[in-house]
Amino acid sequence: MKVEDVVCPFCGCLCDDLVVEVEGTRVVSVENGCTLANEKFLGDNRLTSPIRRAGGAWQQVSYEEAIEETAAILLDADRPLLYGWSGTHGEAQSIGVHLGELLGALIDNTSTVCHGPSIMAIQEVGHPGCTLGQVKNRADVVVYWGTNPIDAHPRHMSRYTTFADGFFLTDAFLERKVIVVDVRKSESANIADEFVKIEPGGDYAVLAALRAIVRGKRSLIPSFVSGVSREQLFRVADTLLGAKFGAIFFGLGLTMSRGRYKNVRNAIELTAELNRHTKWTISPMRGHWNVYGSNEVFTWISGYPYAVDFARGIAFYNPGETTSVDVLRRGECDACLVVASDPGAHFPRACAEHLARIPTVQIDPHVNATTHLARLQIPVAVTGIDAEGTAYRMDGVPIRTRKLFTGRYPSDTDVLMKIYDRVKEEKGHG
Amino acid sequence: MRVILETKPRKKPKIPIEAEAIIPQNFLLKNDIRVYEGNKERTLDEIFYVTTEGPAVSADQVEIVLSGETGVIKRVGEYMNAGRIVIEGDIGMHCGNFMSAGEIIIRGNADAWLGREMRGGVIRCEGNADHYCGAGYRGEKRGMRGGTIEVLGNAGDFTAEYLSGGEVRIMGDCGDLPGVEMRGGTLIIGGDCHRPCGNMTGGTCMVFGTARALLPTFVNAGSEEREFCGQRVEMNVFRGDVANRGKGTLFVRKK
Repeated sequence: MKVEDVVCPFCGCLCDDLVVEVEGTRVVSVENGCTLANEKFLGDNRLTSPIRRAGGAWQQVSYEEAIEETAAILLDADRPLLYGWSGTHGEAQSIGVHLGELLGALIDNTSTVCHGPSIMAIQEVGHPGCTLGQVKNRADVVVYWGTNPIDAHPRHMSRYTTFADGFFLTDAFLERKVIVVDVRKSESANIADEFVKIEPGGDYAVLAALRAIVRGKRSLIPSFVSGVSREQLFRVADTLLGAKFGAIFFGLGLTMSRGRYKNVRNAIELTAELNRHTKWTISPMRGHWNVYGSNEVFTWISGYPYAVDFARGIAFYNPGETTSVDVLRRGECDACLVVASDPGAHFPRACAEHLARIPTVQIDPHVNATTHLARLQIPVAVTGIDAEGTAYRMDGVPIRTRKLFTGRYPSDTDVLMKIYDRVKEEKGHG
Repeated sequence: MRVILETKPRKKPKIPIEAEAIIPQNFLLKNDIRVYEGNKERTLDEIFYVTTEGPAVSADQVEIVLSGETGVIKRVGEYMNAGRIVIEGDIGMHCGNFMSAGEIIIRGNADAWLGREMRGGVIRCEGNADHYCGAGYRGEKRGMRGGTIEVLGNAGDFTAEYLSGGEVRIMGDCGDLPGVEMRGGTLIIGGDCHRPCGNMTGGTCMVFGTARALLPTFVNAGSEEREFCGQRVEMNVFRGDVANRGKGTLFVRKK
């Protein structure tokens, strides 16, 4: 059976034009997908049942036992951490936040290691953003700053920018100008009209210089700023000012290099400055599939987008203090529930070591690096393949994903709801 | 009155304690003082051996001495408006949040957000201070507004972010972007720092060591002498940050 208009469950692009062929409970082919999408749909490394660490080996346990043990671990903890959430749907994220509140836990999502600094900058100076449809139909100048879409978001350029014709750009490849700013010449830089090579850690200074140029202070700019010549800065500034509609996309090169949220703030303030002359927007290249959704869901319920600490019964947020990497590095938390992410692969070693020391439970369809740190893993259905739910695209557009077939795994929502009910019962709210 | 709080051994010593109730005025009123250990509420004597010496008729006459494993205790001195707190070792995050008067002495190191959005009084840290010393909370437009913070050692990144008033004096080095977004007040850095005063709109910063990676958006405005530790020092003067309408002043020691 071929299913059309399938939403990809991998990156923040949420491409919704895939054609997936299914035989029984197996995906056999994917059309229109990038390499990442194909791997996600065709990958077949799922656990068959919940597993529990028993000495030096793993033993299979029932879902009921696994859920009971997870609830007991979380109830016993004084500072539990609920981490992940970006690979699952909004309905499951919502249960997660309510579970966090009930437990007095700290709940955090993968923004903590990706675009958390972007959110902090937006909280300081706002977000002049737009949908990807606006970019596709209008943008005649596109800037990719600290991001390499060809590798990380392979269809971004073909669906929305360089190779995508739009309503006002009928021959996009010739009509759009693309500028890539990075510390190395990436694949994306190879097809750009202009490549700006910055010294590592120099983004803040270059953005400050561009702001000053746009404000008419060209005479103050020294001959080189973080490896970029004054002439190139002037040329780039002229291109930005000459745009009818410009779009800046930025990635972890900006959020995770020295200066972090101040880099993003400077980029937003450059966008604001350009809007005195023409129309410009700025958007983060969100990587984890539904990470934008996790920020939305967390904010609706708690008022904060990530790193929410319910220890005192009310929500408190302070990146650096309540972010999971910092909490784990300091060895604060005494139990962890990981849902739909892989901190074992992405977190610093000290954090992974702490996860291995404390009782860590993982809810995830696949065996991954976190499996090796966990005491218990509960396999679930993959949202967008054998579970349905709502996810948010990188530009904040919610998209409903469908179930391609009915498999034998419960969804994240099913498992989390049972854990929530068990905790509620123990807390005397049942 | 002297109140001595010595930490008791704990089963999970790395779980932070939130103790905004530890301020002189609360001990004067003899309130039922409670703190939080993770998600559990505790009485003061569950966490500390408490000793009280002598009387007091006003909060000015109350001195609190904290000793033991104090490096994980957060928010000590929050909203303090009189009296004195002496911390014999290190102290956790947010020490002296919003304090308006009184004195806090830290014999060891202070964790991040020391004197966050402080309004008045004095904080003296004899060791190092971590990131965001004298800064504001996330998204706040103002950091410290009054009073004095003196750190005898080094300070971390984003020291005095959004500084709006008062004085932050770091005798050693600072990390990245000290005085970022500052709009008033005075920041003095005795040692080196990196990218001082990005996006500043007001106030004065003086760097008596080396300012590395000075941003290109500061305009040289001559030189002046300034005094530091009893010595006259020749300084370059910069105005900025001209990436915005910055009217701040940055002094950097001449080589």
